[in-house]
Amino acid sequence: MAVAGALILSACGSNDDPQAGEGENADEQIQVVAVQLTDQGCSPTTAEAAAGPTTFEATTDRTDEPELEILDGDLLLGEVANLAPGLTGTFSLTLEPGEYQMRCGRHSDPVTGTLTVTGGVGADTSEAADAAVETYRTFALGQTKILIARTQEFADAVLAGDIAEAKDLFAYAREPYERIEPIAEAFGDLDPAIDAREGDVPEAKWTGFHRIEKALWVDEDLTGMAPVAKKLVADVRLLQELTRQVDLEPAQVANGASELLGEVANSKITGEEDRYSHTDLWDFEANVEGSKAAFDAVKPLIPADQAALVAEIEAGFVDAVAVLDPYRKGDGFVLYTDLTEQDTTSLAQTIDTLAEPLSQVAAIVVAP
Amino acid sequence: MTDESDRAAAQSGDPHDPAAISRRRFLSTVGAGVGAAATIGGISGYALASEREATATAPISTTVPFFGPHQAGVTTPAQAHMAFVSFDVMPTADRGEVEALLATWTTAAAAMCAGEPVGTTDEGARLAPPEDTGEAVGLPAAALTVTFGMGPSLFTGELGRRLGLQDRRPGSLIDLPPFPGDVLDPRRSDGDLGIQVCAEDPQVVMHAVRNLVRIGRGTVLARWIQQGFIPATHDETPRNLMGFKDGTNNPDIASDAAMDAAVWVPQEERQAWMRGGTYLVFRRIRILVEFWDRTILDEQERTIGRHKGSGAPMGAAAEFDPLPLEAKDADGEPAIPIDAHVRLAAPAMNRGATMLRRGYSFADGLDPVTGEIDAGLLFLAFQQHPETQFVRVQNALAGVDALNEYIKHVGSAIFAVPGGIAPGASVGDALFA
Repeated sequence: MAVAGALILSACGSNDDPQAGEGENADEQIQVVAVQLTDQGCSPTTAEAAAGPTTFEATTDRTDEPELEILDGDLLLGEVANLAPGLTGTFSLTLEPGEYQMRCGRHSDPVTGTLTVTGGVGADTSEAADAAVETYRTFALGQTKILIARTQEFADAVLAGDIAEAKDLFAYAREPYERIEPIAEAFGDLDPAIDAREGDVPEAKWTGFHRIEKALWVDEDLTGMAPVAKKLVADVRLLQELTRQVDLEPAQVANGASELLGEVANSKITGEEDRYSHTDLWDFEANVEGSKAAFDAVKPLIPADQAALVAEIEAGFVDAVAVLDPYRKGDGFVLYTDLTEQDTTSLAQTIDTLAEPLSQVAAIVVAP
Repeated sequence: MTDESDRAAAQSGDPHDPAAISRRRFLSTVGAGVGAAATIGGISGYALASEREATATAPISTTVPFFGPHQAGVTTPAQAHMAFVSFDVMPTADRGEVEALLATWTTAAAAMCAGEPVGTTDEGARLAPPEDTGEAVGLPAAALTVTFGMGPSLFTGELGRRLGLQDRRPGSLIDLPPFPGDVLDPRRSDGDLGIQVCAEDPQVVMHAVRNLVRIGRGTVLARWIQQGFIPATHDETPRNLMGFKDGTNNPDIASDAAMDAAVWVPQEERQAWMRGGTYLVFRRIRILVEFWDRTILDEQERTIGRHKGSGAPMGAAAEFDPLPLEAKDADGEPAIPIDAHVRLAAPAMNRGATMLRRGYSFADGLDPVTGEIDAGLLFLAFQQHPETQFVRVQNALAGVDALNEYIKHVGSAIFAVPGGIAPGASVGDALFA
């Protein structure tokens, strides 16, 4: 499991890292709105833009580190903060037609500018983005359905006290969860409740798959596991409900794809995830599959001139699946404990090779 | 050579025997040390009377006084290089040997901090190994500090009985509890004794480490050594390997009041040897740099709670602005996210708990399991009372800090750092009195 919410994203630029503006990787077709932050506020006081991807470039001669905020009423759509004189701060937004406000100064200063957005390509862009999000949501909901069914099977074996059967079902039940884990991480305590490892949470609060894993492999005794198994089923049902409702953006889906590969490199390849059953390679494959599904969902939003990046990522996914082939055994994999350091290094490096280009996607799909 | 003949050689040879390294000879060199340091490097007379006068950009020729009311290396402005050596007392060592070793270490450390060698370099007998290992010959003191500490295990169990120190363990020297998410490696944790060595020149650091380890042979064994670094220029808050400024919210090392409040053990302490001392908590925190480097900037800043470039807290304008813990952004959400590192670690969120952090980065090659870079942060924090300072804050962080996704605590140790050392005294005098 991972701890932080992975699906948090707001459009936020930087005034010191030219690589950081969300629109930097897109082509010249992106319109630029330049705003000067003066002692009197915004210059110009009225700006116009066409709907669609827009990069804001803020400059200032003020020394009090002012910021440019684009507001829709009370809602902050994007900002560049702490701008220093002589530097250009940039950030990108995909604008819908309408009237927006610009604040050019300190956060406590009044709004002094308006931005009028008309016509343009906004509608199409938004439809494509919505389609990407719904593609991913359909995938994630499908996985929660499988997860509920398999978790129920696993829980039934636990409730029946059938240790051998429960052991057989453990890695199998976890697969769908590992494909969509970043979704669960967005819901506060849900990921720890389902997937905390020993020591991640206080002993008394430890529930979920790994609690039962320890009972199966270390204690070889399921006493006291019935409530844990029932709660696990309830928690994965809750996950399905929340997945139905969660508000997603394409960049979050892309970021989730990256997060899943981080999971692989940091806990599966080190054997920390399934430390009693050593079934880490099942999780490894599921993480890669989940990452691929998230990438596939946002792929239509990647502009054509990024074809080389797409090709690099797709080749990386092929490698990330193929690298597991030597370790397949029956329906599953060899145990983590059978791997040498040479094996684990090769697995980790294959994942890192894929993860690096994949990490570029979130910024691109903000402004396709 | 048998163990016995080893020990016999040690008793007659120089580095092992405090009687053999003449205290008098050391003290006479120490007395001239500051001037010597200034000329060894060919740099005209530049010396500092007090470590407090050391500027943020300590010149390589700076000498930090070893003797004083507190040990150096705590409120000393952090030098660019650090090595920490943890030692275990050998099963054969008795109380007298450990006491003598502390005296010999004190003498050697005082000399090295003054820019002097340990004993002779090339003037000894040609058929004996030189007393000093030699690699710091010609180098200035480079603001070297050597800071001694004692771990909980020195006072407990068979070792505590053997050394007669069972009743000398201060109440504040707790065993650190396990924290959620810890993946501690015993080979990088704990120790009966610990020495922090800092200087502006890595070779000066290594010289001190090597000579201290060598002097300890026969009495202690090095358990682990961890090296660290910060940027060579000290004119702004150093950035850690996450690329963020680290240490902004530290208490002011120039303020006696702030140090008395948070760092130094007061004179009322029951264990006299700890008066004017402090407690050091050491954590080796692996940063999963590959994962972090692929994380979008927005997530990085929300994880830490500061802007990466300026170091300003989110929702504030400048690095040293107070954390706007109550501020909301335009969406009505906290400007500093509820699980951001700076929020959870803030004194205001931990009943005022604050510590003097003296962090260093480390980079130890590749992780043999993953081939990823084994790098991170050495969290070294000095404090009066670990239970209500480090432990309280770490309990607030462990399990919920957004940063936990990108880091792993892999090493841990705690040491009681005795009070300052007077010229002619040993760091162990009060402890063994």
